[in-house]
Amino acid sequence: MAFSLGSAVRKTWQTLSSVKTGVILIILVIIFSIAGTIILQRPTTDPDDMQRAYSPQMLHFLDATGLTDVFHTRWFVALMILVSLSIIAASVERFPNAWRYFARPYKSPDEGFRRVLPNQAQLPIGDDEQGLGAAERAFKHMHLKSERIVRPDSFSLFAERSRISEMAVYIVHASLLLIFAGGIIDALYGWRGFMMLTPGTAGSQIEMRNGTEKALPFSIRCDGTGQETYTDGTPKRWWSKLAVVDDGREISKKEIVVNDPLVYHGVRFYQASWGRTGKLEKLVLNAVPAKGGSAQEIALAEKQSVQLDPDTQVQLAEFIPDFVVQDGHVYARSNDVVNPAVRLIVTSTKSNNAVNFWLPEISGVAENQSSPYNFEPKDLKTGVFTGLEVSHEPGQWAVWTGVLLMAVGLTFVFYVVHVRYWVVPLQDPSGRLILWIGGTANRNRDAFERTFKQLVEQIQKELKPGSTAGVEKTAEAIPGGIAAR
Amino acid sequence: MSRAKVEQHPATGTTLVVMVGLSIAFLLFIAFLNVVKSGNILSEANLLYAALVFYAGAGALYLGFGVTGTDSYIKFASLATWAGLIANTGAVAHRWYEAGHPPFASLYEMLLSFVWTLAALTLVAEKKYAVKVIGTVTMPVAIVGVVLMQLLRSEVRPLVPALQSTWLHVHVTLAMLAYAACALSFALAMMFLIQDKVKTETFLAATTIFTVGVYAAILTRFERWGGLNVVAWDFDNKGEVFVSRGVRLFVTIPDLGWLMLLVFGAVAAPLVLYILSRVKTDEGFLSLANRALFISILLQSLALVFFLLRTRDGRYPSLDAEGLYPTALAASPFILAALVGGIFANLLYLLLLWRRNDLERLLPDAEALDRITYKTICIAFPLLTLMIAAGAYWANRAWGSYWSWDPKETWAAITWLVYAGYLHMRITRGMRGRVAAYFAVLGFAVVMFTFFGVTYLLPGLHAYA
Repeated sequence: MAFSLGSAVRKTWQTLSSVKTGVILIILVIIFSIAGTIILQRPTTDPDDMQRAYSPQMLHFLDATGLTDVFHTRWFVALMILVSLSIIAASVERFPNAWRYFARPYKSPDEGFRRVLPNQAQLPIGDDEQGLGAAERAFKHMHLKSERIVRPDSFSLFAERSRISEMAVYIVHASLLLIFAGGIIDALYGWRGFMMLTPGTAGSQIEMRNGTEKALPFSIRCDGTGQETYTDGTPKRWWSKLAVVDDGREISKKEIVVNDPLVYHGVRFYQASWGRTGKLEKLVLNAVPAKGGSAQEIALAEKQSVQLDPDTQVQLAEFIPDFVVQDGHVYARSNDVVNPAVRLIVTSTKSNNAVNFWLPEISGVAENQSSPYNFEPKDLKTGVFTGLEVSHEPGQWAVWTGVLLMAVGLTFVFYVVHVRYWVVPLQDPSGRLILWIGGTANRNRDAFERTFKQLVEQIQKELKPGSTAGVEKTAEAIPGGIAAR
Repeated sequence: MSRAKVEQHPATGTTLVVMVGLSIAFLLFIAFLNVVKSGNILSEANLLYAALVFYAGAGALYLGFGVTGTDSYIKFASLATWAGLIANTGAVAHRWYEAGHPPFASLYEMLLSFVWTLAALTLVAEKKYAVKVIGTVTMPVAIVGVVLMQLLRSEVRPLVPALQSTWLHVHVTLAMLAYAACALSFALAMMFLIQDKVKTETFLAATTIFTVGVYAAILTRFERWGGLNVVAWDFDNKGEVFVSRGVRLFVTIPDLGWLMLLVFGAVAAPLVLYILSRVKTDEGFLSLANRALFISILLQSLALVFFLLRTRDGRYPSLDAEGLYPTALAASPFILAALVGGIFANLLYLLLLWRRNDLERLLPDAEALDRITYKTICIAFPLLTLMIAAGAYWANRAWGSYWSWDPKETWAAITWLVYAGYLHMRITRGMRGRVAAYFAVLGFAVVMFTFFGVTYLLPGLHAYA
């Protein structure tokens, strides 16, 4: 029982770690992602549009299989988890080997290794010390540090560069896992919502994407908001002055604009939209006595009254942002300030007479003729609101760390080459003393071939000054097979 | 056109150089007259015109080199490319200065930068990697780009708030570089396949499959009664007409749909004949297929001409709104690019069909091409990664979410996965040669779909690009 369980686990592990599984999983991810871009997706598409696009049976099928919200279904998440497991398994499976390679570099090459190494050369030398000394100077010339490896049966030289490159691919895989982890944390613990504020108000209630409400442990106060436009009327900039109020104390203040949010305790407030509430803030009027006389300027807010003369006062009774008249009544059609109307009540104390003064004069309801004052509108200020997108993404730091790590990892993978050289003094089959030089690079091998040739030439040059005449005659590289890969 | 003539007496080096030189001089003279009239020498339009003139000269010379293999053309061709690049740089700088932001905000500005990148890459490929024929491919693309720019709105448009971010510029620059590197790897992979003795008819099949795909994509806009739907254009505001936020108003050009359907049939014919030749193992069908392809090029040119004429004049009815609306070429950049791209691909095939031996002589050997393709992808992949990362960071600052699975994002991720697959196969499985080249071609196909297809066919947030 235990044995079969163990073998099942081992089998699963092996399957997960194989390249084939990885490729199949990636193809599956690609297929479902494509489906997710071709089939209309639920939260972003209007339900009406969905119904127009698909037949009821089709829609039912798509909804049942989750194809209308591919990227948030359980099986897509399960697929992503499988991909992660596959990356982990593949990395764990191959890591020990790479680590051994990294931690215990192969420093003294044996005969079998020397025979098959593609990049190698042999130079005739006088004695061991002369050969190794020349090689050491050549390495120094190439800014490489070499070390002498002394083994009971051999004596050689080893030099290398950028060993970390062998680990680079694991850095990339780890960074990918970190990004996935961040994404999963956000999917589980992150949230997004919307908040609307008008200047002077504070709020802590957030309307969540799924329709529920969420209360923040602190509140956000809006101290002002506005829009700037280009001369052609397209919006140039939206801004909101926000303040964080926690425990009744003002913690911080910031003017946010699109692309520059406010962050407090991991909750981010984005400038998402801006508009008019359709409520009146201030109405400036010129009041002219009907019998003649000098005009006076007054400013009114809704339900506010102003004394015009000792006998008369005026009150702003009603503001309709977009009015329409039907059956002798005035109604509001929308909250957009496109066709505004105001009703003023002009009361005189003496005669106890109240008159409905409409701006503009709406026939049938307005009693403008009997008003002791005429009013001319001068300026209208309506209320504005700022729409804030609120989000909490605790996993995003893992994502950004992962991105940076991946950039580093990819740089190492593609542009940093692990280069190794070995130099061994040997006797060739004819009994002559030679210097065996070998080298290898883990990538970009054609460029390495050139570097290797340069090294051999440099060693040759270093050999010459102190060499004997006999050696000089044959001091030519014997290409041991600089075979192209 | 002049094929027969070229085959009989190959033009000598000097003839073509003199001819190209004379036409450049003539065009510059015309331009000079215009300049004298307008009194503003270094305006963007003039610089762009100069770039066009030089690129056209370079393109002709590169093409002459591709066809005749006369080495002396190359020197003059690169000289013309240099001159064009300088004028183009001037136009980019002028634009940047005038707009106050790097030129990536509209389709016009992106094309401006794209053409610049293309010319620069051509010179790099030529000088550094000695891939001389590359100009034969890139210069015509650059010319098409500059011509397209003349049709698009060119005035500096203000940036909407979401686009006012440094990260956007980083994102778009990286995208340009990554896509250019992908395009280069595609061109190199194609050259490898030529050098790897892939049969000419296989290229025929690939070309026709591409063209059929192009016309299938255009026909998604086919409307009842044989019309073709295009976006309405508002000439006063120089912009597309929107029904509501993000929803464009389409007008139907009558009968253009039928024409596109006819051309679809014509471009499918060589493919059908090719399949017949494979099934029946009859070489006779192949020569028929090549003839059918020739006819399809003529019909495609006809479709392009009619498309140009019909979109430029007249007002057309819409299914979604009352009344008649005008349209413009600028409203349908993707259809235009698709039509031009189809013709271009077919012409390249003809070049291969007629001049394969010369091409094989001129191109670097297969092994070198295989290696350079891999190296180009090694450059493209980190750029793609950074492009996606910068885009995610920007989205996080602008919309509060670094990844929202909109089609453009998803397809960028798919592109990334395909190239990641290529690298894994190459590094761990030792994939080389033809399979690797096919993989590189597939990668670029996905890139093209991400760049054009997603915007044209799929809905999404990326309304700006």
